[in-house]
Amino acid sequence: MLTELLSLLAGKSGGMSLWEISRSLDAEPSAVQAMLDLLVLKGRLIEVGPDGKYCADCGLEPDCNLLAAHGKRYVRA
Amino acid sequence: MTAALRSLFKLDYGGKIEREVAKLISAFDELKFDTGRYPRRWLALKLLEADADIVARVRALPDGQELIDLAQAGSQHVQDMLGDEFDLLTADRRYGFINGVVRQSLHRPRLDRITLTDRIDDIVTHKWFGLPVFFAVMYVVFRLVIDVSSPFLDWMDAVINGPIENWIRFILDLVPLPAWIHSLVIDGIVAGVGGVLVFVPGLLILYFFLALLEDSGYMSRAAFVMDRFMRVVGLHGKSFIPMILGFGCAVPAIYATRTIASWRDRVLTSLLVPLMSCSARLPVYVVFGLAFFGARAGSVIWAMYALGILIAMLAGMVFTRTILKPDASSAFVLELPPYRQPSLKSVLIHMWENTREFVRKAGTMILLASVVMWLLLNLPWGVSDQRDSYFGKVSGALSPLFAPLGFGNWETGGALVTGFMAKEIVVSTMSQIYLRDMPVEDAAPTTLGEDLLGIGRGFVDAVIGSGRILVSIIPGVSFANEEVENEDTALSIALREHFTPLSAVSLLVFVLLYVPCVATLGAIKQEFGSSWAVTSAVYQTAVAWLVAWVVYRFGLLLGFS
Repeated sequence: MLTELLSLLAGKSGGMSLWEISRSLDAEPSAVQAMLDLLVLKGRLIEVGPDGKYCADCGLEPDCNLLAAHGKRYVRA
Repeated sequence: MTAALRSLFKLDYGGKIEREVAKLISAFDELKFDTGRYPRRWLALKLLEADADIVARVRALPDGQELIDLAQAGSQHVQDMLGDEFDLLTADRRYGFINGVVRQSLHRPRLDRITLTDRIDDIVTHKWFGLPVFFAVMYVVFRLVIDVSSPFLDWMDAVINGPIENWIRFILDLVPLPAWIHSLVIDGIVAGVGGVLVFVPGLLILYFFLALLEDSGYMSRAAFVMDRFMRVVGLHGKSFIPMILGFGCAVPAIYATRTIASWRDRVLTSLLVPLMSCSARLPVYVVFGLAFFGARAGSVIWAMYALGILIAMLAGMVFTRTILKPDASSAFVLELPPYRQPSLKSVLIHMWENTREFVRKAGTMILLASVVMWLLLNLPWGVSDQRDSYFGKVSGALSPLFAPLGFGNWETGGALVTGFMAKEIVVSTMSQIYLRDMPVEDAAPTTLGEDLLGIGRGFVDAVIGSGRILVSIIPGVSFANEEVENEDTALSIALREHFTPLSAVSLLVFVLLYVPCVATLGAIKQEFGSSWAVTSAVYQTAVAWLVAWVVYRFGLLLGFS
C-alpha cells in the first residue's frame, strides 16, 4: 500500500489531498491518513497546506485557490 | 483475538524479510537469549525495524549488542535488495494485509458520492460559473421562501388578528378594566408582537433552506467562490463565512470573526457583516414586497440581499484604501467537505433553534418595545392624534431627513428609529401606528369550536396553497385555472396608502443598510472597542441614506412613482 501510495504521488507535481488519495487507492481515509503520517515522518512526503510546509516550487501557494479548496495536500519529498 | 487464533495468525512479509526474521530467531536460540514476555517473532521484527525503544532495552541485556548488530546487518541486506527501508517495507505489508481483509470482509458502496462531489465542484466552484450559480441558488431559495411561505403568512395574520385577538378581547371583557388597558393590550402588544410573529412561518422556511445549504456542503463552496471577490476588498474567503452567518444574525457573525487571524481583517469583516441582510430584516422586506410587488416580491427580496453584498464589497474597497490598509497577505485554507445528504433531524433542529430565538425576542424585546411604543404614542395622556404624541413629535422632527428618500412622513421616521433596537420592530411599530387607525370590522361572534375549526381549515388551505406554488415552480407545471392569490394583510393595505412602489423600494434599501441594531453594535464594541462601533453606526447610516437617495432619484428620473 505504501509503495502504491508513493507511486501514485510520484506523477503528481501538485500533490494530492487525503480524499483524492483514498479514492484512488479505494481505501478508507482514516487508514490512508495513518500511512501518510508514517511517510511524512519518514521524510518521504511533504505536507503542503495548513500546518505543513509549502513546496515553494512556484512561490504562489499562499494565493493558490486550488490549495485553498482542497486543504492539506501531500507531495513527494 | 484469542490466544489460539493469535498463535495461528502470522502475517507473511515475503521471502526476503521472512529469511532475516528466521535468522534472528535462530540467533535467539543459539545465544539462549530470553525474550521474556515478548513473542520472539515480534521482537525479531522490532529489532530489524530498529525500533528505538526495543533496541535500547535489548542493548541493556547480555548478548544484546550482538543481536542488534545482526539485526542491522539483516535490515541493511533487505534494504539493499528491495530498495527501501526495512520498517517501511513491513508497514507496507501490514497496510496491504489490512486493506485486503477490509476489502474481503467489509462491503460498502464505492465512494461514488465523492466523484459526484468533484463533478459538482467542477461547476459550482468554476472560475466563471461559480458566481452565477451562487446567485442563482440564493435567488431560488428566496423565491421559495417568499412564495411558499406567503399562504402561511396570510394564515398567521388571519389567526392573530382574528381568533387570537377575539379571545384576548373576550378575556379582557370578563373583568372590569380601564379602557387604556384594553388599548395597551390590543393596540400595543397584540399589534406589535403579533405583527412580528406573523413572519414565523417565513423564517422557518428560510432557516430550513439555509440549513439545507449548510448541511449539504454548499455553503463552503459559496465561501470559496467568493474568495476572488473578497480579495478585491483586501480580505479572503475566510471572511465570507461570518458574512454568510450574517444572513441569519449579525451578532454571532461578529463573534465568528474570531477565527480570522489578522486583527485588521477581523475589524474590516465586522464592519461589512451588518450589510449582509439578516433575518430580522426579512419581515420588513416581506411586508413591503407583498404589499407592492405581489408575485415579484421574491425578486425584490433577492435584489436586497444582492445589494447588501455589492455595497459590502464597495465599502470594503473604500476601507482598504483608507483607514484599514491591508497587512501582509495570509493564506486562505478552506476544507471543502464532500457533499452529503442533509439529515432531516439536523435541518429541523437548526430551523427550530434559530426560529425559537426569533420568537424569544418577540416575547421579550419586541414586547417591551411595543409597550414603550404604545406609551409614547399615547403620551401626553389623552392625546387624540398620534402626530401630537411624544413619539409623533420626535418622529416628525426627524422626518425631513427622510423626505429626499421618498418617505418623509413621521410614521416611517419613527418606525426607523425604533428599528435601532431590532430591525423587525420596524414592522411592529408600523403595525401599531397604521392598524390603530384602521376601521374595525364587526365580525359575527363565533364560538371557540368555530374558531378552532377555522384555524384548522385555514392551515389546510395554506398547506394546499403552498403545495400548489411549490409544484408550479417546476418548469412546465402550472395551475392555469387555479390561480393562487396572496391575500392582503391589514398592514399591506395600510402601507399602500402611505407609500408608492418606488418609495417602498427606497425604504427597503435604507432598512437594509442603515445603522446596525443595538445588539450588533454591542458585539462590535465588545470585540473592537467603542470607536469601531461608532464608525459602524455612522458609516452605515450615511451609506444607507446615500444609496436610498440614489435609488429614489434614479427611479423618479426613469419615470417610476
